[in-house]
Amino acid sequence: MDRLTDRLPAPSRNVALGLGVACVVALLLVPTLTSNYVEKLVLKGVVFAILAISWNMLAGYAGQISLGHAAFFGLGAYISAWVTTPSAAGFPEWLAMPALVAIVVGGLGAAILALLTGPAMFRLRGHYFAIGTLALAAIIQLLLNNMQSLSGGATGYYVQNNFGSAAVFYLAVLALVAVFAVTYYMMKGRLGLGMQAIRDDQDAASTLGVSPLRYKMWAFVVSSFFAGVAGGLYAQHAMYVNASTTLGVSWTIDTLVIVILGGMGTMIGPLLGAGIFMAIDNLLTDLVGVLATSLEGILIALFVIFAPQGLYGFLKDRFLDERRPGAEHPTGDSAAVERGSD
Amino acid sequence: MPSIDLLSGAIVNGILLGGIYALAALGLSLVFGIMDIVNVAHGHLLMIGGYVAVIMALTLGLSPLLGMLVAMVVLVVVGLLLYEVMQFVVGEGMEQPILVLFGIALAIQNSWQYVLDNFLFGSHAQTTDLSIITGNIVVAGVSFSSSRAVTFVVAVVLVVLTWVFMQYTKTGRSIRATAQNPAAARYMGIDTDHIYRVTMALGAALAGAAGALLSMLFPFDPYVGWSYLLKAFAVVVLGGVGSILGTLAGGGVIGISENVGALVIGESFRDVVSLSIFLLVLIVRPHGLFGSSEGGE
Repeated sequence: MDRLTDRLPAPSRNVALGLGVACVVALLLVPTLTSNYVEKLVLKGVVFAILAISWNMLAGYAGQISLGHAAFFGLGAYISAWVTTPSAAGFPEWLAMPALVAIVVGGLGAAILALLTGPAMFRLRGHYFAIGTLALAAIIQLLLNNMQSLSGGATGYYVQNNFGSAAVFYLAVLALVAVFAVTYYMMKGRLGLGMQAIRDDQDAASTLGVSPLRYKMWAFVVSSFFAGVAGGLYAQHAMYVNASTTLGVSWTIDTLVIVILGGMGTMIGPLLGAGIFMAIDNLLTDLVGVLATSLEGILIALFVIFAPQGLYGFLKDRFLDERRPGAEHPTGDSAAVERGSD
Repeated sequence: MPSIDLLSGAIVNGILLGGIYALAALGLSLVFGIMDIVNVAHGHLLMIGGYVAVIMALTLGLSPLLGMLVAMVVLVVVGLLLYEVMQFVVGEGMEQPILVLFGIALAIQNSWQYVLDNFLFGSHAQTTDLSIITGNIVVAGVSFSSSRAVTFVVAVVLVVLTWVFMQYTKTGRSIRATAQNPAAARYMGIDTDHIYRVTMALGAALAGAAGALLSMLFPFDPYVGWSYLLKAFAVVVLGGVGSILGTLAGGGVIGISENVGALVIGESFRDVVSLSIFLLVLIVRPHGLFGSSEGGE
C-alpha cells in the first residue's frame, strides 16, 4: 500500500494510512458496539461509498456521465435475492446459493448487463450517453416492475439467508476496502491513465492510439460490477428488495450528490462524500423532514457551480497545495500528470 | 393480433398524442440546439405547467385552454430564473449544466410534493377536463376523444407559430445566428446573453403549454417529470436537435409506436415501448431520423 499515499510528504502519508486503518477498525466495531438502527445506517453509508467509488470511476475518471447507475445497483440486488431465495421467483430450489456467493453473482449479473449494453451505449457521447443511460435504467425498472412474478411487484421480494446481518456488514466493509484498493491500482495503472486521457480529450487520446471504446468498456463493466456488489450487499442486509425503491432513480441521485460533494475524479472524494452525505442526510431529515431532497438538489447545483472540485479539492487547495505549488492537476487526480512527467 | 379497427384507432390516437409530444419536446430541442444544454429539468417545467392548469381549473374553474396561457406566463418567469442560475455554467462543458439542472429538477419535484401535501390537495394524481365539448368524434369509422383532437390542434398551432417566429422575426433570426456561431453573432452586434435568456424563457413557456395540454389527457403527479423528459428527448432525437418541424415527425413516431405497442403488448408496457424505440434510434442513428449532421457530442 506504499504507493497509496506516495504523493504526500512522509508525515502526512503516515497520518493518512493511520486514518484509513482507524476508520476501517471503527467500522468493524459498529455491529458489536451499536444498535441495530445504527448498524443499518452505517451499512447504507458503506454501500453508498462503494456506489460512489464505482460511479466515480466511470464519470470522474473516464468522463462518462451515466445517469443509469441505479439499474446496475438494483439488478445486483435482485439477482442476489433470486439466487438466495429462488423459490419465491419460481426458480428451482437447487439454485440456492449462500449469501456470500450471491453477492458476487449479483455483481457479475450487473457486469454482464454492462458488457451487453456497453458497445451500444458507447456509440453515444456526452449528453446522449447521459440520457441514454437514464432511458436504459428506466426500461429495466419498468420491465422488472411489470414482471410481478420475478420482482414481487409492489409488495416487493423477501430475501432469506442464514448469514446474519452482522456477517453481511463485515462483508460490506471488506468489499469497500477491496473496491477502494482495486480502483486505486486501476487508476494508477494503464487502464486508469487511458480512462483519464479519454475524459480529458477523447479525440486526442484516440489519435494517440488509446482506444476509447476499450477503456470506456473497462470503466463501465468494472464500475457496474461494483455497483452490483453494492446492490447485493444491500439486499442481503435489508433482506428485502422492491422494484420501485431498489431500482429507483434516487440511488443514482444520492450517488451523484456524494461524488460531487466529495470531489469527482479523486480517490478520497467519494469516501469523504459518503461520510458527509450520511451525516447531512440524517441531519437534514431531522431539520426539514421530507424537504431534505430539495436541499440536496440545491446542494448539487451549488457545489457544481461554486466548488466543482468538491470538498476534497477545496481542502486540498487549502492545506496541501501550499507545500507543492503547481504539482496538482487542477481538474482531477494528479496521477496522469505525474506519470506523464516520469 | 388486434382487429383493424382497434389498430387504426390506435394509430389515429397516436398521431393526436404525437402532436402534444412534439410541443413537449420543442422547448427541449430549442434549448439543446441553441445553448447546447440538455435541460434535464424540462420534464419538471412541464409538470409545473400541468399543475398551473390543474390549479386554475380547480380554484377558478378556468378552462385548461386558458390555464395554458397562464401556465406559459408562469413558465416564462421560471425560465428567466433558471437562466440566472444557468448563466454560471453555460459553456462550461457538458456535465456541469446537466448536473446543475438535475439538482434543480430534484428540488422542484420534492418541494412541489411538499407544497401539495401540506397546502394543497395532496400529491395524488390530478387531471383537468376540457368541458366545452365532450364525447368522441367519429371520422371514417375511427373514433377518438374530442379533447385529444383539441389538444392536438392547439399543440400543432403552437409548434408552427414557433417555427414562424424563428424563421421570420428579427429575434428569431438572431437566435438562429447565435445557434450557428455565437462568436460571429456577437461580432454582428447580437447580444447573445439576451438571446440565451429569450431561448430559455421560450423553451420553458413551450414546456408549460405542453404540460397544460397533457393535464387534459393524463393524470399529473410531482414525479411525471422524468418520464416526460425521456419522451421529449426521444422526440428530439428522432426529429433532429434544433429542428422545429422535425419534432412533429418525431412526436408522431413516438405517439404511434407507444399506442400501437400498448395495444399489442399491453398497456403497462406503454413506456417500455417508446423508451426502447428511443434507445434503439439513439444508438442506430445518433443524429436522428430526420436530423442534420449536427449533434453527436
